[in-house]
Amino acid sequence: MVAVADSLVHDQLAKYRRDPAFVLQMLRHLQLEQNIITSGDIHVLSESLNLPRAKINGLIDFYSFLHRRPRGRYDVYFSDSITDHMLGSREQANLLCELLGVELGQPSANGAVTVSLTSCTGLCERGPGVLVNGTAIDRMDDARTREMASLIEANTPLEDWPLEWFVINDALRKKGPLLRYEPTRGKALERAIAIGPEGVLKDLETSGLRGCGGAGFPTWRKWQICRSSNRRQRYVVCNADEGEPGTFKDRALLHGYADTLLEGMTACAITVGASKGFIYLRHEYEFLRERLQHRIQRHRDTNLLGRNILGHHGINFDVEIFMGAGSYVCGEESALIESLEGKRGIPRVRPPFPVTHGYKGKPTVVNNVETFCYAAGILEHGPDFLAHAGDQPGWKLLSICGDCKSPGIYEIPLGTPIRDVLEACGAHGTQAVQVGGPGGTLVSSAEFDRHISYADLNTAGSFIIFDESRDMLDVAVNFTHFFAHESCGFCTPCRVGTKLMVQMADKVADGHGARLDIEQMQRLNKLMTQASHCGLGQRAAVPILTTYEKFTDSFERRMEDVEYKPAFDVEAAIERSRQIVSEEALSR
Amino acid sequence: MTGRIRIDGQSIPFADGQTVMQAASGAGVFIPHLCYHPDYAANGSCKLCTCKIDGKQVSSCTTRAVDGQVIESNTEELNSERRALSQMLFVEGSHHCPSCEHSGNCVLQSMAYKLGMTALMFPDFTAGRETDASHPDLLINRDRCIYCHLCVRASRDSDGKDIFSITGRSENKSLAINTDSGLLKDSGITVDDAAANVCPVGCIIKKRDGFSKPIGQRIYDNRPVHYNKIKQPSLPDLDREPGRKLRVATCSLAGCFGCHMSFLDIDERIVELTEHVEFDRSPINDIKTCSTQCDIGLIEGGVCNTENIETLREFRDNCRILIAVGACAISGGVPALRNNVDVRELLEESYVNAVGIDNPQIPTDAELPHILEEVSPIHEVVKVDFFLPGCPPPADAFWQILTDIVEGRQPDLPYDLMQFD
Ligand SMILES: Cc1cc2nc3c(=O)[nH]c(=O)nc-3n(C[C@H](O)[C@H](O)[C@H](O)COP(=O)(O)O)c2cc1C
Ligand code: SF4
Ligand code: SF4
Repeated sequence: MVAVADSLVHDQLAKYRRDPAFVLQMLRHLQLEQNIITSGDIHVLSESLNLPRAKINGLIDFYSFLHRRPRGRYDVYFSDSITDHMLGSREQANLLCELLGVELGQPSANGAVTVSLTSCTGLCERGPGVLVNGTAIDRMDDARTREMASLIEANTPLEDWPLEWFVINDALRKKGPLLRYEPTRGKALERAIAIGPEGVLKDLETSGLRGCGGAGFPTWRKWQICRSSNRRQRYVVCNADEGEPGTFKDRALLHGYADTLLEGMTACAITVGASKGFIYLRHEYEFLRERLQHRIQRHRDTNLLGRNILGHHGINFDVEIFMGAGSYVCGEESALIESLEGKRGIPRVRPPFPVTHGYKGKPTVVNNVETFCYAAGILEHGPDFLAHAGDQPGWKLLSICGDCKSPGIYEIPLGTPIRDVLEACGAHGTQAVQVGGPGGTLVSSAEFDRHISYADLNTAGSFIIFDESRDMLDVAVNFTHFFAHESCGFCTPCRVGTKLMVQMADKVADGHGARLDIEQMQRLNKLMTQASHCGLGQRAAVPILTTYEKFTDSFERRMEDVEYKPAFDVEAAIERSRQIVSEEALSR
Repeated sequence: MTGRIRIDGQSIPFADGQTVMQAASGAGVFIPHLCYHPDYAANGSCKLCTCKIDGKQVSSCTTRAVDGQVIESNTEELNSERRALSQMLFVEGSHHCPSCEHSGNCVLQSMAYKLGMTALMFPDFTAGRETDASHPDLLINRDRCIYCHLCVRASRDSDGKDIFSITGRSENKSLAINTDSGLLKDSGITVDDAAANVCPVGCIIKKRDGFSKPIGQRIYDNRPVHYNKIKQPSLPDLDREPGRKLRVATCSLAGCFGCHMSFLDIDERIVELTEHVEFDRSPINDIKTCSTQCDIGLIEGGVCNTENIETLREFRDNCRILIAVGACAISGGVPALRNNVDVRELLEESYVNAVGIDNPQIPTDAELPHILEEVSPIHEVVKVDFFLPGCPPPADAFWQILTDIVEGRQPDLPYDLMQFD
């Protein structure tokens, strides 16, 4: 047994050429194979990679899916995202725990299983989602949960579980230029090579393409800055971390449009002069990895990747998949690069931005999956690719989930009002929409004329619908917990602030909030917004306060004391004393 | 690029490549900070040095100086944010100054004094990380770490040893030692290393050194980390016709009466004081209830049982200005040390297991107040107008704020009267 485990570490070391930058990949593999990273593994890695033990521990403790304590042989994570809640994830998690006789988060006594919760798994439109030993299963319901419990009890290997559980389909509900686009293999690249880097930049600029990962930075500018740097080595990185709760459009693209993505990345590499690229794929999308790897191989086999691409001498580019290990903040581009370098995913001080000082200090373009895909379409079809009848050029893939008839992916022209989106997906009695994920904007029914655009409601794709049956305070509390869980803990305002926000949000939700708490939250929010090191901390307090502003009722309903007085719960504070005194009195 | 920047209206020069922080300290302008140190590359994590640069808030330790920049630093808005950051660092760790070996030599504490932080205002976190006492000369109390990375940088860059790192994420962060055992004793660190001397708080401390200097002679007792003047919160109006004596009521909840004793240490000045104030309910004159129209209520001690709550509410109802006096009233203090012990264990320790008890049993008399599950600071139960820190606050601090109020000024504690221990 020891010998087997030992050889696993050595296999991994050999596979990654003892390069410390890949230690995260090795750790992740060990975790998936053994359900634990043992002290022995850490010792071998530490010796072979010349990394102090504490630094390896530091990595393991940073990423949610790595563990130094044993997990069950079946390691089950239910998605704890709001959309999964709405579809009953907590109930299913509790049912599974009950059936298996385990406690949430604790491995069973015989080591067979651990059931716990995790941040959004990206199966929002087909939830509740669950990961078993790293592999995704969607649409958990009573029947599936019961069958899963029996399979685990019978110790059935994952390979023998019902195959259809592992088939994750994509609901492509409304197709625009990108979802309709079927790339002619190599055509985008041929054209990129033909018109040359300046031509590519010109096309992108004319098309109006901006980053689809949230910030909306003009893509041509990013590529141009990278290209004009005077450093020789450059990198192209695809941000496939898609950690924002409620977003799953990158999942669909990675699944169904991998060729488009790879051509987009390659065109970028040709333009900026990079010869190496990475796809940073979130841990939760393990189920996409093999297929994506096949596509990369096919591109190599057909000379769309590799040396002398399409026979053009000196045009070399190859792509490698790099797996995340559970951390939302790693979607932030500089944290992502830290993670790629095998470190804890802590956002860097910016400027300098990755585009001048990125991977290993070299100029690096980091773009979202969707951005690369659109770029490929533009290069194949020309700068009009994004044109439509409206006055704002550009399209956006929306991941629509929550309370509507047809959740799924909708490609909509920029400038589309919320009202139209709601109609298209069959939403009725809508109370509010969260646009752009927990860090985005909560839009109440009074504002449904606002539209999806860079100027108004900017979104990386998340679009969560809440009908009138939902308690908006519960939603805000869920988001607040999400941020606290995902804070990397680097800077004071976010590390401590998110924890304080959770305490106060829970207090209000439990019915013990007072006006004082709201004021305290408002002060904290200002500090967190202005002083946090990255977007996570800057937005972490917003959901609860926006909900207070727009859905004051749902707050005040639960505030036992809305006056300006601290809310101290005397009854709760003396409950224990009361209990002891009555026990004592009875026993005499 | 060289040139000049303008900070709080003062024009100062900078040299090529300097950050705003470097330029400011070069010109003798102090920007509050904890994780910045001139010898090491900037970290940018504590965020105390946040300034408004050309209208936008950024960390001044990581922002390059650019000719013509206009910088705001010493403003009430920024200082109150810095005060909040200090409060956050205090509640995050176990920074109970009265029982800390590092008190008086602590940069965080001194910064908090100067930022006018008189109370914590946020609930305390209880973490319970492991203490490392393995080294013969040094001790690590992990619950006091503020993650400034100074030891990490000092060990790596000055000592060439790379002994420390930070592990975990979010609230589970912790200081780690880069040895196989994880223990400091195996690290090769010595007391003279830069890393052993750089910690701004009482996380990495020297053994046999704690409490060796009396109060008054410690590093920051009289000399603040910096000299910016910070405004205190203002008090409600007393609405008082000239000449009327102020009514002062005082009480001790879960406290040791030490604050009252310290108050009496104003000695003969009490005669002068009684020309302007008269005492209402107070242990000093043994009057047991508050009259309805008090001006000032001084509360010593934390809230530990239902009787404390009644007393406190009576004070709040009857006093225009309520002042939390001393560490126990402000943060729970010494009585709060029981907060992670179960109530039954507490009661048994007092009424059953203690030595010399005749009739060992937990009392069940309905007349007796119930004890609360945790001792709380008084501001969690009632609104508090002013905080007078100290364990106990010095007599001069009582004198200062009472004379301030008598003379119709907003009370203001000078640096040497601000103390948490
Ligand atoms: C906390 C945080 C999380 C982020 N997560 C993602 C993500 O999962 N995917 C993504 O593409 N961008 C994410 N971003 C935005 C990236 O930092 C970056 O702007 C983006 O990858 C740039 O690509 P684009 O120009 O194509 O949009 C995140 C940003 C922050 C602050
Ligand atoms: S804002 Fe939060 S997530 Fe971002 S660097 Fe600071 S602690 Fe980390
Ligand atoms: S131990 Fe001290 S010096 Fe090191 S990070 Fe913590 S607070 Fe900073």
